[in-house]
Amino acid sequence: MGADIVTVSTDTKFVHLAWQQNEKELAQVKYPMAADPTGKVSRLFGVYDEATGLALRGTFIINPKGELINAEVNFYNLGRNIDELMRKFKANLYMTRKQNEVCPSKWRDEGDKTLVDPGAKMVGKVHEALTG
Amino acid sequence: MAVAEIVGGLKLGQTVPDFEPLETYEPTKGDFGKFSLKDQLANKRWTILFFYPADFTFV
Repeated sequence: MGADIVTVSTDTKFVHLAWQQNEKELAQVKYPMAADPTGKVSRLFGVYDEATGLALRGTFIINPKGELINAEVNFYNLGRNIDELMRKFKANLYMTRKQNEVCPSKWRDEGDKTLVDPGAKMVGKVHEALTG
Repeated sequence: MAVAEIVGGLKLGQTVPDFEPLETYEPTKGDFGKFSLKDQLANKRWTILFFYPADFTFV
């Protein structure tokens, strides 16, 4: 199952073009850069700052059914960790296939330890389940 | 649920209401385009929306 990353800011598509073509850090960019100059979509996701007209650093994962399944919002001064985004995305893909499993905090990729059917039996025994 | 009814942002688990496609710049084509959530769902694709404050700043 594939995914598409789309970046969004309140800049226009013209500014996106100018930025991508001028900033060497963006030379390899493959994803579409979307423009939300009215802030409508930024407001929908709760990241629009009315005081500045800018969007906060929000990352949202939407599944193919259109459901919002993951959200992370950082303030202006904190960048995001792409490895953590990929971890969350891979975990969500995995759990869509294996609906009786959950991915604990140390899960990084397929093959790592998951918890299967976490129910009453696991109460007070998470350590044993993780290390067993 | 209509976009206008959502105050303070969507909650996890909610279905994202369809919104007017956004205009895009597509570096792979060197051209402008559109991003439509409806098309993503029709094509059974996952979507990661990555908001940031402003072009010409760090990400």
